[in-house]
Formats: sequence, C-alpha cells, structure tokens
Amino acid sequence: MSDDGGGVLFLLLAGPAAATGLYWGLYRHYRNTDKSHAFERETTVEAKPITGSDQKIDEIKGTKASRIAGDNVREYRKRVQRIQGDSG
Amino acid sequence: MSNANNPPPLPRPPPVPGQNGPAYTGPGSPQDVPPLPGSFPIDPNTLPKPIRDELLAPDPLAIDTSATELKDGLNRCPKCGATDIRQKAGSDLLVCLYCRNEWHGARVEEEFGLGAGIDQLRGRVIASGARDIAADTASLMSFKCTGCGAEVTINTASQMTARCHWCRHVFGVNEQVPNGAVPDALLPFHIKKDDAVARIRQFVDKRRLFALKAFKEEFTPENVIGVYLPYMIVDGNVSADIAGHAEIETRSYTRGSGNNKTTYYDADVYQVARHVEFTVDDLPLESSTERGNLDTRANTNNIINTILPFDTKNAVKWNASYLAGFTSEKRNQDVVHLQPRLEDQLLSIARAQVQGSMQPYNRGVRWEQERLDVHGTRWVSMYLPVWLYSYQQPGGKGSLLHYIAVNGRTGETMGSVPVQQWKLILAALTVGTVIEGIALMIIGSTL
Repeated sequence: MSDDGGGVLFLLLAGPAAATGLYWGLYRHYRNTDKSHAFERETTVEAKPITGSDQKIDEIKGTKASRIAGDNVREYRKRVQRIQGDSG
Repeated sequence: MSNANNPPPLPRPPPVPGQNGPAYTGPGSPQDVPPLPGSFPIDPNTLPKPIRDELLAPDPLAIDTSATELKDGLNRCPKCGATDIRQKAGSDLLVCLYCRNEWHGARVEEEFGLGAGIDQLRGRVIASGARDIAADTASLMSFKCTGCGAEVTINTASQMTARCHWCRHVFGVNEQVPNGAVPDALLPFHIKKDDAVARIRQFVDKRRLFALKAFKEEFTPENVIGVYLPYMIVDGNVSADIAGHAEIETRSYTRGSGNNKTTYYDADVYQVARHVEFTVDDLPLESSTERGNLDTRANTNNIINTILPFDTKNAVKWNASYLAGFTSEKRNQDVVHLQPRLEDQLLSIARAQVQGSMQPYNRGVRWEQERLDVHGTRWVSMYLPVWLYSYQQPGGKGSLLHYIAVNGRTGETMGSVPVQQWKLILAALTVGTVIEGIALMIIGSTL
C-alpha cells in the first residue's frame, strides 16, 4: 500500500473478498472437497535419523520477496522431478 | 505369508490409460494436504449467529484407534454381539461364552506375522488373497447388478437376493458373475447401525442451513448400508532422497519514508539434500478402480478416503460369516496397478518426515528433485467396514452421487452434503455487502 489510493482500494476490496471467502469456506464445510486421508500423519512411520547436507552457494541482497520462489516445503503431495530409484 | 522369502520380481505394470496414472494424479484429486480437523478459513465469531452455530456445533466423535477397547483385538461375536470370547482350547476356533457360537477368528497380525520385521522386508511379499476357497467361503458369490453394472458380493447362505448399495436395485442369484477376489482378512463391523445413523444425523445437522432442499426433505439416515470395501494394506521398507534449495534471511530493512516504504531482504542461499530411511506400517490403499478415483469434480469418493485409517491390526482371517447382513465390493486392482500410487504416498510421507529438519530455513525450501528406493513391501488384501449413506443429486450435468460415510470401527464420519447454490450465494453477497458498507463508511469519514 504505497499511497492513500492503495488503502482505499484495499478497503473497497474487503466486501468482495469477504463474500468469496465465506462462499468457499461454507462450500467446503458442506461438500468437504478438500478432505482426504491424511496418511502423512495418520500412518505409523518409523524413521531412522535424517541425514543430509547443507551447502551455502550464494547470497541474495535486497530482494523484495519475503519467501523463496516456489516454496513447497509443506506441499508434500506436489511431486517434483523424480530421479528413478529402485521399486521393490 | 509368515516368512519373507523373496518372490521373483514382478514385471513393471503396462501403462493402462485411466487406471494407472490419471486416476490419482489428475486435477481435482486430493493432491493438497488436507486441512487440520476443525479449521475454517474465516473466524466463525465474525459470522452471523445461524452460520456460526452450525460451524461450531460438535462433530461426531471418532474413537481413538489406540483405545484399549480396540487394542484387545477381540471382535464381537457375529451371532449375539457379546464380547465375552475365548479361544477354544487346542484349536483355532473362537467360542462365544454367551451363546456358545464358535467361529474362526484368528488375527492375521499374528497369523501372518504382519506386525514384525518391516525393516527387514526385501522384495515384494504378497499375501495369498486368492488362496483356495475354503469350505466356509464357497457360499460367497459375486453378482453383477443389472441396474448399474456394479459388482456386489453376497453370502448366499443367508440371503439369495441383495440390494445394490450404488443404485439400490434388488437383484437375484441368477445374474452371477465368476467370483474373483477373496481377501486375506477383514475387519468386522464395530459401530452398530443405530450408532452410525446417529452420527450421520449429527453430521448433517451441522450442515442444514444451506443444504439442498430436496436433500433435507428426503434425508433418511436409516437407509444407511453396511459395506465391506476392498483395500490393500501395505507395509513398506523404503528410503528417500530429496534435494533442492533453501534460504535463510540474514537481514531485513525498510527504505523510503511515509507511504513509500518498501521492505527489502538479504538472504543466504543453500543447496540442501536430505536422506531418510523409514518403514510404514499398514498404509491402506483402495483396491477398486472406482473407489481409487478421487476426482472431486466427478465423484465424492474422497469422503470414503477421508475416514481412513482403520485399526487394521485387529483384522481377522477371512470368514464369509462376517458378511451376513452386509454387502461388499470386489477388488479389481492388482499390486502392480497400485504400486505407482503407493510410491506417490511414500514420497509424500518422506517429504513430511524431513520437514522438521528444515526449520532453520525461515525463507522456505524449494524441493526440486526426489528419489525413492523401495527395499521391500508386503501386501495384504482386506475388507474394511464402512457405513455408507448415499444421495443422488438430481440434474443432468450437475448430477452427483453424494456419500456420507462412517468408519465401521472408529466411527469417524465424513460426508458431502449438496448445497443450495442460490442460498449460499445470497448469504455470501449479503455478508459481503454489509462489510462493503462498513468499508465505504470508513472511506467516507476519512475523506
């Protein structure tokens, strides 16, 4: 919000945003289209200690972005490039 | 399958369109991690009272599967419902001390050694879900419903007709199709019909304000049907490698003044890799093509998927007498068909496992590559008990079969209630207009 115009626009958008949010919130409450088996936390998993490497490769100065581009640390189910391994 | 002898490796599955890939990766399939129970995008306290009351009404309680009442592994007597059951000395039979009923109730967990040695698993071990049909299962037959084409298994010893739980068509013995899959094990129903009806009623009472009028008028939870649905229960011993980039914020500062402030960030970029070895115990996968299709635009199978998991540790060896009074669906997917879906879920679990080790990266992580090595898996086919209430929403293109499902063991309840669109849109517009009015008042007073 760089000026007053931005603030007014923000306030004007409050109505449509609330309407959309309420519609989708209630729709999902009734239809539950976003639900599925949460197997990541509901399955018995026994993991050995996690190993790995962390290597600093670069520094960023003065970016406006508050998060890394393409952050997917919580999107467990979105597949990324698969390196072929063994299939039992 | 008590030993872990390595069978010869099975060939890679041939690509079967519509069965192998798109069913679980297609758009609309629940690829998003489901929200935590009870979460709602808007604070309910800010909403009008009728809506708030509905949202805050209690959900049907689900029994914790780690509860001691289920841990004992004793299932109810199929004849009288009593739990006073003992092993008959010197045999594999169970005897009900109340009605003297005797039956086979060996837990597969011990019988097949399913709980132990998962970390030693190598290769693919498959329980003989298609073992020789024992005398007590000879009366079990599959029928093709003439109404909708679904296959329903019935125990002909106790009933010669059955009602299809998909289309409610009643059909008879003469329309028999060859029987294919008899599972290794099943979990008997634990939640009684009255209990299931009460849970479905409670679930729908929480969703009445904007429900389709016809649905409310025709709502008869007493029509709920007990169904044994086919699943593959999989143990796995795997390791996964994940690689990507992550960033740590080193400094943030603001430039400009007044309304022209902009925040800038400095960050260190890291190349990160993680390796995790883990075992999964009793991961359930739908082994029917129709049930495994979780496209939420075309069906509401995700509802039945949500009530997983079951306390599969208490499963008993297959016995047709457990099916008396219930219907069941036949398995039509083999291990090779389900392998891609298993690998997909294992990768998701691996990603969830390593998340804890990424805490220092406060600007987030971008995973770019992942690799899965499946050292060993063990597959057991199982019938799991589900109370299913269905409602066919009328209307050509918008026609959709809505399910409300109750987990037959834990009582976990989930459902899809059809929405009266105009009512919902009207409510959203009303709330939006009120908020817009307040916004305009604020703007007006500042000008």
